[in-house]
Amino acid sequence: MSDFEFLRFVTIGQYLPTDSMIHRLDPRTRLLSSLLLLLAITVAPHLMGIAIAIVTVIAGLIMARIPLKYALSGLLAPLPIIALLAMIQIFFGFQPDNGPLLWAWGPITISTGDLWNGVALITRFVALILTISLASFCISTTEIVHSLDYFLKPLRLFGIPTYDFILMIQVALRFLPLLAQEAERIAKAQASRGAEWGTGKSNLFQRIRQAFPLLIPLFLTSLRRAENLALAMEARGYQSGERRTALQQFHFQLADGIALSLILPIIYFVIRS
Amino acid sequence: MRNFIELKDVAFSYELPNRLSIPALKGISLEIETGEYVAIIGANGSGKSTLARHLNALLVPQQGYVQVMGYDTYDRANHRKIRGQVGMVFQRPEDQIVATTITEDIAFGLENIGVPTPEIRDRVHQALELMGLWEERHRPPYLLSAGQMQRVALAGILAMRPQCIIFDEATAMLDPLGRRTIREMMARLHKEGLTIITITHFMEEAVEAERVIVLNKGTVALDAPPASVFSDVVQLAELGLALPPAGGLAKQLCLHFPELPPNLLTPLAVIEALDALPHSFDITPIPISKFTEGTEKTIEIAVDNLGHTYMQGTPLAHRALEGVTLAIAHQEAHGILGATGSGKSTLMQHLNGLLRPQEGTVQVGNYDLNDPRTDLKAVRRMVGLAFQIPELQIFEQYVGDEIAYGPRLFNLQREELRERVRWAMLLVGLDFETYKDRLTFTLSGGERRKVALASILALWPRILLLDEPTAGLDPQSRQELLGHLRHFSASGMTLVLSSHQMEDLAILTTQLTVMKKGSTVLHGSVREVFGQVEHLRELGLGLPVITQVVAGLRQRGWVLPAGIITLQPLVEHIKRARV
Repeated sequence: MSDFEFLRFVTIGQYLPTDSMIHRLDPRTRLLSSLLLLLAITVAPHLMGIAIAIVTVIAGLIMARIPLKYALSGLLAPLPIIALLAMIQIFFGFQPDNGPLLWAWGPITISTGDLWNGVALITRFVALILTISLASFCISTTEIVHSLDYFLKPLRLFGIPTYDFILMIQVALRFLPLLAQEAERIAKAQASRGAEWGTGKSNLFQRIRQAFPLLIPLFLTSLRRAENLALAMEARGYQSGERRTALQQFHFQLADGIALSLILPIIYFVIRS
Repeated sequence: MRNFIELKDVAFSYELPNRLSIPALKGISLEIETGEYVAIIGANGSGKSTLARHLNALLVPQQGYVQVMGYDTYDRANHRKIRGQVGMVFQRPEDQIVATTITEDIAFGLENIGVPTPEIRDRVHQALELMGLWEERHRPPYLLSAGQMQRVALAGILAMRPQCIIFDEATAMLDPLGRRTIREMMARLHKEGLTIITITHFMEEAVEAERVIVLNKGTVALDAPPASVFSDVVQLAELGLALPPAGGLAKQLCLHFPELPPNLLTPLAVIEALDALPHSFDITPIPISKFTEGTEKTIEIAVDNLGHTYMQGTPLAHRALEGVTLAIAHQEAHGILGATGSGKSTLMQHLNGLLRPQEGTVQVGNYDLNDPRTDLKAVRRMVGLAFQIPELQIFEQYVGDEIAYGPRLFNLQREELRERVRWAMLLVGLDFETYKDRLTFTLSGGERRKVALASILALWPRILLLDEPTAGLDPQSRQELLGHLRHFSASGMTLVLSSHQMEDLAILTTQLTVMKKGSTVLHGSVREVFGQVEHLRELGLGLPVITQVVAGLRQRGWVLPAGIITLQPLVEHIKRARV
């Protein structure tokens, strides 16, 4: 039914402005907490730590007034791949001394340790995906851009042009949904001329072949867009590397202090437990 | 008054990679004074945009000089000063928005010129309110309509408090309401003392300026007030231009009423001139003979209670169609009108099976689109769809291959394929031998549009769907295209077109459907629909010029039926009133 809704697959920037207490925090607090939590989940050695992280994220989702069902539906798409990874971990875990042996068939052995590793892998991925979802629901692209700008500021001391870098990210984020819309339009135009888009009949090979005529106009229109955008930016006084002022100025408030003083111990427990 | 902008012998060529260069401007000298309202017109490729880009130092002349407020554009150090004072609104709304929210975007220019934060906030606030965007301020730009995006762009310029604003075909992609908003802003800003320079293909917009500069092949052909520029029809045609619609109507009326003053260019002028003719009010209107729609025609397209939601099941779900009902007869020319975002394109995409009905039913010819077994490829072959600005979707290197793409996918080969391509090119007026081996990217705007159309016609569609077929074309290319479409219609093809150009709809179609916020709100013959003047105005839609004139005369007490859309009944009625 929705063969052409390419925009559906662009989940970056699925920002949900619910104006919750989380949304009202300083974006730097939100971004920093999310990044630290992601890092902690990645290095957490034990299942207990990951479980703490999942509880924290779910609490965060509730506080941010995100419908839980919607947030959890984001897990469905990557689930098969994660399950497959877990299977490999369980069947082919080569760590010796992995607890009591449960089952063995030739070189394939399953020990309780392997099982635990598999479960840990799944929960780790679930925790990561939920954290990323929470972050993208609660931090708009603009806020990401401004927070990054702030965090990268020290680099300017070394003469690195962070203004340009930040603007580049901003423009890319802005054009991603447009690119999806454009691809959709071109695919539709070609389908109208007999290409097998959205008839549900094409096999994988045909689909790859169809992508080529899609890429050329997409590339050309992107170039044209880039040119127009560069003109529009120049016309509005943009000059690369020049010092600019900013509309947004962020203020670190008491709520941010409380939020950070809550999240930091949690992160400690995620890593240490 | 002093010269705000001065150009002296300006020449500019675009360099191609193969060492060829295309001259765009050939020795242009101009002076534009502070507070002037100037329109620049000319055929596609006459150098209008190139000239405009010289006025705010986006391009720098290769010969001669350009001075803005006394600053030479050749000196890079002056660029910021110039661009802070000369703003520019471009044609494509979505390409000029930099930031991810509207507020941020309006602040972009201010951030560039180093305005302190509190002042940026004040100015952005003002600009948002002035352009009526306050409610929208947190929305991402890609979810806005074209008209809203163009208002964002203008707000971003106004926040910089420039002395001059250049509109580079800023209204070309907008619906009637969006166009009217921008045009009213131009007039208002001009009154406030700003210098306004507008580049346009709409002659009725040029008429609103104080001074019209006509470009032809990189030189200034005419530079005079609108009344004098639009006085010589033959010369206009040579320059690839035409009279504004009201001017065209006035010329025809003059044949019947030689006592009308010459050079009437706006609907209001025509109304006033007619009203000034001696006339009496007590006449009985002649009933316009009922249209010959009595003969029952077979229904080709039947849409019943259609509903569609984009991104269903996500928080971004967006209701695009609701309870849409439509019936189009075989061989009918049917127009769909409505503001941007009213669901016209979504509806059209249901008619050739790009979208399947989520609710309600769609029947096209013998195909039931609700049936999952329906052969969608066959439906799309029968129903050709030309998207808005179709030339952007051209992807083959050679014209011939581009047009052969569709037929090839339907397994046409060698001679048959060649004949088909030849036939399709002939239909749109492209000579097969001259054009088949042309590189697609070297074609002009009008030619590319023709190639795109031919590539759809090459599939022998029985029904042709067109989304904004004339957007962005100069008057002459537009006339040509309308001529071809008329010919297809006369030769038995069913046409469905959506357009913001009421004149196009009045010329081409016999039946109209009006859409509002995803629903069909008005159906009927062209005359019935355009007769509902008030209703259409409420919907933010325009009227063809003849309907505007009739409505104006009715307001002044003339006894005329509302649904006059052709010259003859209007002339008859005026003649009667004069006796």
